[in-house]
Amino acid sequence: MTSTLPKFGSTFLALVALSSLAPAQEKSGETIYRQMCAKCHGAKGEGAKQYPQPLIGDKSLKQLAHVIDSTMPDGSPDLLNAVESERVAEYMYGAFYSPDAQAKLNPPRVELSRLTVKQYRNSIADVIGSFRTPPKADAKEGLRAEYFNARNFQNNKKQIDRTDAEVRFDFGKESPKSETETKEKFDPNTFCIRWEGSVWAPETGVYEFVVKTDHALRLWVNDAKKPAIDAWVKSGDNTEFKTSMFLLAGRAYPIKLEFSKAKQGVDDSKKNPNPPVKPAFISLNWNRPGRAVEPIASRFLTPLKCPEVAVIETPFPPDDRSFGWERGTTVSKEWEAATTEGALETAAYIVAKLQDLTGVQPGATDRVAKYKAFCRVFAERAFRRPLSAAEQSLFVERQFEAAGDDAQLAVKRVVLIVLKSPRFLYPDANGASEQYAVASKLAFALWDSPPDKELLDAAAANKLGTREEVGKHADRMFNDPRAKAKMRDFLLTWLKLDQAKELPKDAKRFPGFDEALAADLRTSLELFLDDVVWSANSDFRQLFLADELYLNGRLAKFYGAEPPPEAGFKKVKLEADKRAGVVTHPYVLSSLAYTGETSPIHRGVFVGRGLLGIGIKPPMEAFTPLAPDLHPNLTTRERVLLQTKANACASCHTIMNPLGFSLENFDAVGRYREKEKDKPIDASGSYETRTGTTAKFTGARELAKFLASSDETHYAFAQQAFHYFVKQPVRAYGLAKPEELRKTFADNDLNMRKLVVEIAVIGAMPRKELAPSK
Amino acid sequence: MPLTRNRREFVRDLGISAAAVPFLLNLPGLSFANQAKRKQRIVFVFSPNGIVPKDFWPDEEGANFKLKQILSPLEPFKKQVLTLHGVCDRIRGDGDGHMRGIGCLLTGIELYPGNVQGGSDTPAGWAKGISIDQEIKNHLQKDAATKTRFGSLETGVMVPDRADTWTRWSYAGANKPITPIDDPYQLFNKLYGRAKDNEALASVLDDIKDDLKKVGNNVGAADKKLLEEHAAFVRDMEKELKEQKNATVGHAVPKMELGIRKDNDNIPKISKAQLDLLVNSFQADFARVASYQITNSVGGARMKWLDINEGHHELSHEPDTNEKAQEKLVKINKWYCEQVAYLAKRLSETPEPGGSGSLLDNTLIVWTNELGKGNSHTMDNIPFVLVGGGLDFKMGRSLKYPKVAHNRLLMSLAHGFGHNVKTFGNPNHCAAGPLTGLV
Repeated sequence: MTSTLPKFGSTFLALVALSSLAPAQEKSGETIYRQMCAKCHGAKGEGAKQYPQPLIGDKSLKQLAHVIDSTMPDGSPDLLNAVESERVAEYMYGAFYSPDAQAKLNPPRVELSRLTVKQYRNSIADVIGSFRTPPKADAKEGLRAEYFNARNFQNNKKQIDRTDAEVRFDFGKESPKSETETKEKFDPNTFCIRWEGSVWAPETGVYEFVVKTDHALRLWVNDAKKPAIDAWVKSGDNTEFKTSMFLLAGRAYPIKLEFSKAKQGVDDSKKNPNPPVKPAFISLNWNRPGRAVEPIASRFLTPLKCPEVAVIETPFPPDDRSFGWERGTTVSKEWEAATTEGALETAAYIVAKLQDLTGVQPGATDRVAKYKAFCRVFAERAFRRPLSAAEQSLFVERQFEAAGDDAQLAVKRVVLIVLKSPRFLYPDANGASEQYAVASKLAFALWDSPPDKELLDAAAANKLGTREEVGKHADRMFNDPRAKAKMRDFLLTWLKLDQAKELPKDAKRFPGFDEALAADLRTSLELFLDDVVWSANSDFRQLFLADELYLNGRLAKFYGAEPPPEAGFKKVKLEADKRAGVVTHPYVLSSLAYTGETSPIHRGVFVGRGLLGIGIKPPMEAFTPLAPDLHPNLTTRERVLLQTKANACASCHTIMNPLGFSLENFDAVGRYREKEKDKPIDASGSYETRTGTTAKFTGARELAKFLASSDETHYAFAQQAFHYFVKQPVRAYGLAKPEELRKTFADNDLNMRKLVVEIAVIGAMPRKELAPSK
Repeated sequence: MPLTRNRREFVRDLGISAAAVPFLLNLPGLSFANQAKRKQRIVFVFSPNGIVPKDFWPDEEGANFKLKQILSPLEPFKKQVLTLHGVCDRIRGDGDGHMRGIGCLLTGIELYPGNVQGGSDTPAGWAKGISIDQEIKNHLQKDAATKTRFGSLETGVMVPDRADTWTRWSYAGANKPITPIDDPYQLFNKLYGRAKDNEALASVLDDIKDDLKKVGNNVGAADKKLLEEHAAFVRDMEKELKEQKNATVGHAVPKMELGIRKDNDNIPKISKAQLDLLVNSFQADFARVASYQITNSVGGARMKWLDINEGHHELSHEPDTNEKAQEKLVKINKWYCEQVAYLAKRLSETPEPGGSGSLLDNTLIVWTNELGKGNSHTMDNIPFVLVGGGLDFKMGRSLKYPKVAHNRLLMSLAHGFGHNVKTFGNPNHCAAGPLTGLV
């Protein structure tokens, strides 16, 4: 933990420089820099051999001057007084240090991007989906449930037709219960049930569906023909049946579950009229990506029968995320090969479902003409704009000619050439007219998917010319489940929790904190985020200030809350005077902790880097935290201070530690505590703002209040949102854009929905329309 | 639809990245390591409902025997035929005769208790163990010298669209029945889909390259670089596709008659198409194990093309005294035998690629049935007729065993591949070891 800076050398040089030249106070900042700083830091702050890190950062001018005044030149800070330090800071800030200075030196630009992997999959799903008719949306939850007093699904034997919120039944040796009178009395030996509707995928990833039953079952998900699980033959004593599939966020997938408590095959009921009754149970569960197996909750189920979704499973190499958001600005051989596989998979899918998609019977005499018409529309939707005559000839006519009399092959060729075309893969280079380009950008910003019919119609009618027109569509589109899924994904990314991770905890100290509980915590956080975003005011501050928490029975028990009446998730006040929104959410706090101890450093980095948006560099080398057992008398706070007291650590840790300390009232699983090792918790903390004032707070609520009202938090949130939704550097839209966004956000009472709509509009409109406002 | 599913499942099963797929799928085998040794193959053929013993089993024993009416189509291959009388299915337990008949035939083990009710027997589920074809496949796939692209192919004709104990005979393991492919187009796609895809792909690449150029002209210099990089990858792929085409399957991709529907009356057409594809896949070394399931146990094919209008299963229950019915049953079984003979013929006409003799010299056909006799539902004297030289058994003989358990024959088949299992299926029937007298 010693400084790696060349202390002696630079001091010496600085002394030489000073003694041989005129008094410093008459010099400009630039001269001072050249004479006293450039040797170590490079002529333009780019770094030099001994100190290679470029002088780039996001401290305010005031903060920078303060750092220089108190630490520079290294080892002899007295050589520069406060005024000189300020002058040199001013020069550095404007010449290369600040983000704006960097933007002037290397003007960020809107780079040509291919579809990201997400956008690729969504495009296929939605372009094909546009040929299918969705049912009229409603808000109903659960699944349609039909109960039959027979071993087959004979309509005249149907006794119950209702909506079941979830599929979780233990019939025992009884027959199904009904609140209304049934025509016949159920035979407890022989009955069957069909649940049908659709299931919403809240995130993109691999879902495992798990049906638990001691009788026969069949499950279909997103494929009406082939069951995902076929256990209609009951065989042996297996009672758990699983299948995995990849699903895309924000879409509903048709699902059907059939259950049969009956013998299949030959009917022997006459021969054996009164067999002993066996028990029966059934439940429909899933394991969402990175979660634990749990019953599918009613909020993910709808009795509506949605059409199938074309989910392309071809594996793609992951997108570049080096800037913190997914970008399609690079191509690779693997990516190119994946687009080929994706095109082939899509072509096979379309050919297999051609009748469903075109409504044309395979033997119909006019099928070639109708397939052609289908192909044309397919190409237009894939390209997100109408085809020119030349394109119609290349992408459709020519392919049909080449395929001879094999009309299916012709369709396959069209799908291949369209999906391999740069006009599909590069939305911004496909030669679309201005309004279609606006439509495309807007849709990708909000949905990561191509425009819907309404938006394309608007482009065709020239109704996407003004901010108001585009904004109206953005408002409408933001209510789509795909936008909701993207918004939730963004918030989780903002909280650095986008990748669901395991939360292993010390089983001795935290009995009951297991995989299922961790999954519940994540659900609790997501419910909270959704709740705030989609509340009337969508008030950003509520993310920090809310004093209620979503808990289910299991969580309530673990965290010692009044258990909610039902087992489901309910908003509960838990230590309301101590907790506040996301910063005290036990999922966040457990993630930012070790298995047994808290980690004020991780929490501090989360608050500082993530929420306040300050650039904290990683440590010079990797450190293992001091083992608590070796310091049995120290609290966590004391241990952290001990480990980070060296000068080399201090410049960053004096920022992070005090932020993290303010959350010390919450242990490694996010439970409130007053004491650690019999010492009272010291939850005092502070933060030096970019305006130069010092904010002090004790405990999480005070920290949360500060964060809720801080310009820095708002600025960081708006900037991150821009990058997440538009996938281009915000300064490419004007150097003042980040600050403008912050201001717009603040002027709109920190309404998150309005912010994202504004961002989507900025990203979509031609840049000449976006002349910076004064 | 099967096509999409299979492609995805296949890619997933291989566990390889998308980028590697095109370079693997079109090659004869996964590598050339498997081309050095003699290739041994086995095909299991199933026909249902028992046979007519008096017109099936040769009266004589040994090399001097006459093929009776049902087996007469095998006359041209008589020197390659081995009939095994006296092999009995000893597996009992849950399930009716037909269920156990088919479910225990290749597995040699009981069925689980379950919910499939047949006649007056106790209900049952799936077999409790792996079937011998899958056991041999796994053995071959473990070794690079015998590993092939698919390992095994499970095929059939007119297998009902319902998965139950009567319709499955091949098991990947306990409770894991394998669905046979009875649609020749689906089988074709599994075998050659990729080659066809690549053809279509190759034919649109020129247009895609042109398009990339055009689009590249519409963007700035910095962005153009990205498209140029992209175009280079497209050119690479084009080159690779060409190279692959030159190194391809060793025989022309077969032409399929279009539009054969799955329909009782099309059974002869479908059967021929399926058997041709099986021969092709052996020729290309796509697999060394196959099964071919004609309908299902209790199968009710109505062989109108033989002027028989009743379904096979209902006829099979007619007593021996019903001579007309017995005549029809002989005709039906003879037709099944013709399928075996057609397969043998095609194999015998196809030279062994890179080896000596014909495919038939290196393939063993095992034709069998779920019952010994339809109207008694006996599981004694299960029909086992072997054709071909794949396992170096001494062919051209009629053997008669004193009621031996069929588990022992299953063991012999594994041993024929050098897979010397100590037991197979229910070990209680395996104590005497593999059948003696085969080699």
